[in-house]
Amino acid sequence: MSVQDLTNAIISGINAGGEQFLEGTLAAALPVIWLVLIGLHVGRPYILDMIDRFTLRLGADLLWLVYIALRDFLMISGVVMSFMFFFPDVVVTDALPLTGGLAAAVLFAVLLVKLMGDPDRNLRDFRLVTILLAIGAALYFIPYLLGVQANLPFSSAMVTNTNPNWAVAMSYISIALLAIFGAIAAIYAIRTGGRAEVPDTTTTNS
Amino acid sequence: MKPDDIANAITQALIQGGSQWLISTLVAFLPALWTMTLMMHLGRPYVIRTLRRCGLRLGADIWWMSYLLIRDALMLITFAVSWIFFLPNVVSSAALPLTGPLAALLLLLALAVKLSRRVDDDIQAYRLSTIFLVLGATLYYGAQVFAVEATSQSYLAGFGAFFTSNSNVPVALGIMWVSLAGVVIVALWLFVRVWVSATRSMSRRLASEQEPAKREPMPAAR
Repeated sequence: MSVQDLTNAIISGINAGGEQFLEGTLAAALPVIWLVLIGLHVGRPYILDMIDRFTLRLGADLLWLVYIALRDFLMISGVVMSFMFFFPDVVVTDALPLTGGLAAAVLFAVLLVKLMGDPDRNLRDFRLVTILLAIGAALYFIPYLLGVQANLPFSSAMVTNTNPNWAVAMSYISIALLAIFGAIAAIYAIRTGGRAEVPDTTTTNS
Repeated sequence: MKPDDIANAITQALIQGGSQWLISTLVAFLPALWTMTLMMHLGRPYVIRTLRRCGLRLGADIWWMSYLLIRDALMLITFAVSWIFFLPNVVSSAALPLTGPLAALLLLLALAVKLSRRVDDDIQAYRLSTIFLVLGATLYYGAQVFAVEATSQSYLAGFGAFFTSNSNVPVALGIMWVSLAGVVIVALWLFVRVWVSATRSMSRRLASEQEPAKREPMPAAR
């Protein structure tokens, strides 16, 4: 083996190892993010109850703003960190939960409901967000616990690199869902011009 | 092989491998940055809805200021990281999305719209910057997901070879130079605009400062 061979071997080791370390770290952080964001969503009545006890309006406003900023930022982070589920090469190589991409698409749907609806005021929207979060968490945690973190007879079917055909198919379905939801969000933003409500186009100038 | 050879090999590997890893990490973070940029920009109606519920002006101001800072800083950082698409040696040696430079140019155009028009007050300007962002993101995601990150899929081999920069170097470099020319034009336009605007506003202020103060009228009787 020449010095150049050794250099090349170490370079490829650093690159492959670094990439897998990065993806592994993201994969390890995702369950924590899912748990915390569900905890924050479920903890809404507790926060509202605490807000009522504030004697100063400023404290109440700040608590509510910090709560929703943290909750929504975690949702955005969840979608962003799940981006590896949309890369066919990554899902074929790494041991990831099979339906993780679908969970990310469902999480994006939650953000879409928040954009177009009003889950903090409208009960129907709140219930929709809660159901979507429950579905997303199930899609993430079931294959994660029973597939990636267990050695059961059916575990290999739930892990992406031991079931690559299904993993790539799931990846494409998730990409399609994300593209549809993204297009809806973009059309909504263009229609409203970034305002909170859609401007009334039926009104005529008098 | 002597111990010195091994030491040299490890040193070279750390330098070259570290450089490649840094580039690949930046490229790997770009989808995250693009996604955050899009979400923050498109999420404006939700942010305004939340803002309206603040009982106090202070809370509303903090909320709006944080939103603006994060949204615009993300756009700027995404463009800064996308600068990697304008380095000819990297474009021809690393596997980057072919349309990455065009995406970066569209991102700069969205930033230019923000700098030249009041996007938060003007619906048409907001729509224009949204269109630039969505087009840029589509150009970036398409090549990144189905070409750069899909080498294991044999049926995408043709698409992958065409849309990956180091397997289609002439086209990649062509797109890069055209986009770079676009970036230079937009940057020059922004520079001239800032220059003219600063000259106008500062000369107006200087003129008002140099104008002699009007004398106080003397009372007729004390």
